[in-house]
Amino acid sequence: MPPADPPVRDDERSPAPDEQSPATDERSAPGGKSAVTPTEPSSPGDESAVPVLETRGVGKRYETGGEAVEALKDVDFSLAAGEFVAVMGPSGSGKTTLLNVLGLLDVPTTGTVLLRGRDVTSLSDRERTTARKRTIGFVFQNFYLIPTLSARENVEIPRLFDRDPSTRADAEALLRRVGLDDRLEFRPDELSGGQKQRVAIARSLVNDPSILLADEPTGNLDRKTGRQILEEFDRVRDRGVAVVAVTHDPLVDEYTDRTVELVDGELTR
Amino acid sequence: MRRGFGRRFPALLMARRNLRRTTLRSVLAALGIVIGVVAIASLGMVGTAIQQTATTTLGDIGNEVVVSPAFQAGVGRLTDRDVREIERVAGNSAVVPVKSTRASVRFDPQQELATIYGMRNPGDIYTASDGRIPDPLRSGALVGADLAERLGVRPGNTITVAGDSYRVVGVLATQSGFSPVNPNSAVVLPQTAFRSTGYSQVVLTAESGRAANQTAMAVRAALNDRGQRVEIFEFASITRQIDEFFGLLNVFLLGIGFISLFVAGVAILNVMLMSTVERREEIGVLRAVGYQRTEVLRILLTEAMLLGVTGGVVGALASVLVGMALNWIALGDPLFVFQPRNVGFLLLALVVGVVVSAASGLYPAWRAANANPVDALRK
Repeated sequence: MPPADPPVRDDERSPAPDEQSPATDERSAPGGKSAVTPTEPSSPGDESAVPVLETRGVGKRYETGGEAVEALKDVDFSLAAGEFVAVMGPSGSGKTTLLNVLGLLDVPTTGTVLLRGRDVTSLSDRERTTARKRTIGFVFQNFYLIPTLSARENVEIPRLFDRDPSTRADAEALLRRVGLDDRLEFRPDELSGGQKQRVAIARSLVNDPSILLADEPTGNLDRKTGRQILEEFDRVRDRGVAVVAVTHDPLVDEYTDRTVELVDGELTR
Repeated sequence: MRRGFGRRFPALLMARRNLRRTTLRSVLAALGIVIGVVAIASLGMVGTAIQQTATTTLGDIGNEVVVSPAFQAGVGRLTDRDVREIERVAGNSAVVPVKSTRASVRFDPQQELATIYGMRNPGDIYTASDGRIPDPLRSGALVGADLAERLGVRPGNTITVAGDSYRVVGVLATQSGFSPVNPNSAVVLPQTAFRSTGYSQVVLTAESGRAANQTAMAVRAALNDRGQRVEIFEFASITRQIDEFFGLLNVFLLGIGFISLFVAGVAILNVMLMSTVERREEIGVLRAVGYQRTEVLRILLTEAMLLGVTGGVVGALASVLVGMALNWIALGDPLFVFQPRNVGFLLLALVVGVVVSAASGLYPAWRAANANPVDALRK
């Protein structure tokens, strides 16, 4: 059952075509007032029916070299709890842009993004960062581990500033879960590609997110290692975390609940 | 313990690891601060040492005031009335009226033309290195250190001054510095040996340079208010001028120090900018995993401050060594470096070093914190 329509602000729907350029695409909340427009779920017991993440009519326009590029066009996308969705499509089809919008790293030019039914489109950078930290984990093609920190410290990174004494134990438990309990104090350059990606997965899970977003997670890995990573996602999904993987890799298809395809910024399937 | 420390200060942990990643670069950046801090602190100490040397030389007479008759106004002698007036306003200062002339001094077989002072109470301003100074001086003669050496005179000898014989009761200690009433090459006789009336000078010795200045002003007010009667030669004013000169010199030296710290700041700015450009993606990841801009800012500022604190502390230690060497050469006492003024310079240098580093880190940190993570993570 879909939730009640959130109040949508007109200016979000139809901005000037070149209002947002990639360099300045962060919206600040208008005035000092919170821009959050909470949407009440239809009833408290109904929450499981609310998609964890949803986009409505999302479009994203970039200005590159005086030329407007429409990276996303009117994308409606919905993600249920514990669902594993692959976003496939050729290079330049807007997959990464979609992932950035889903991950609250980027703000759409048009349309609305709902996180657990709450409109998060026009949050301030600080609020968006907080929401991202609480609910979303990221896994990247290039792993992006901090080379100066050990595997365990890399997993602790997202919570390092919380000064939470349980972080260390949680990080170790997560590394154990991905089979790296014998590599806790290894630096990234002492780990294989598959091990690095597993550290990255552990890092994405340390804040206990409900959504995991992966950008080409198997892109830099051989087939066998890629499978191990996908199996890891499968286990993550079993724990109720929704996973969205943007990929070229047909292998991913075998593990997902559904696959959507993005062509020239439009969701076709 | 170290790990616990990093846990309590996560920004410090990350900053330390980042700096260690490019050790040479970090060391060079910190070296700039070391040099700047050493420049400020040791140049300040140079100033202190020079000033100390100068004031030590002048120290003996810095609290002396000499009152002479105003020859230009036609006053040739100071009278007993003048002396009483001076004694009245002099407060705690010792007042020694002096008569003076020049005469031949003979101690066979040598003979020399020397300054002869007549004083009632020379013990108030001089000390004896050999023999004693009777107080008051009624008979006998006191011989200045240099003259006594040239003539080979010792207490107990008899010298002839202008034809009269005097028994030497004491040899005066060498007095450093310069003064219109300098005893080193002179003979001090009782005032009764002079037939003339009036005095050529009155020497006042105060407890301190400041007191000497006050006494000088009081004497000037009392004796010169109805026309110029006396001239007052006050050494404290010379010391003050010397102090002012060295103050200026110090400011100049400090200025050089600050310029080198400024250059060090530019070096840190450069290093931090390079470092943030290189770590663009890492910083993007931090933002992606939920770091606020302020947290990124904190990490990078901590990095810059760490460079500054490390450089500053090393610089301060180096400055102490430099200062000790300097004081050993200039004053023969390396420990003289530990005086409040120099400690002040050290603290100033350290604080300025850290502030300069933090200020230099501000722009790179701000830029990195406000970079768009989407751009940073674009493949």
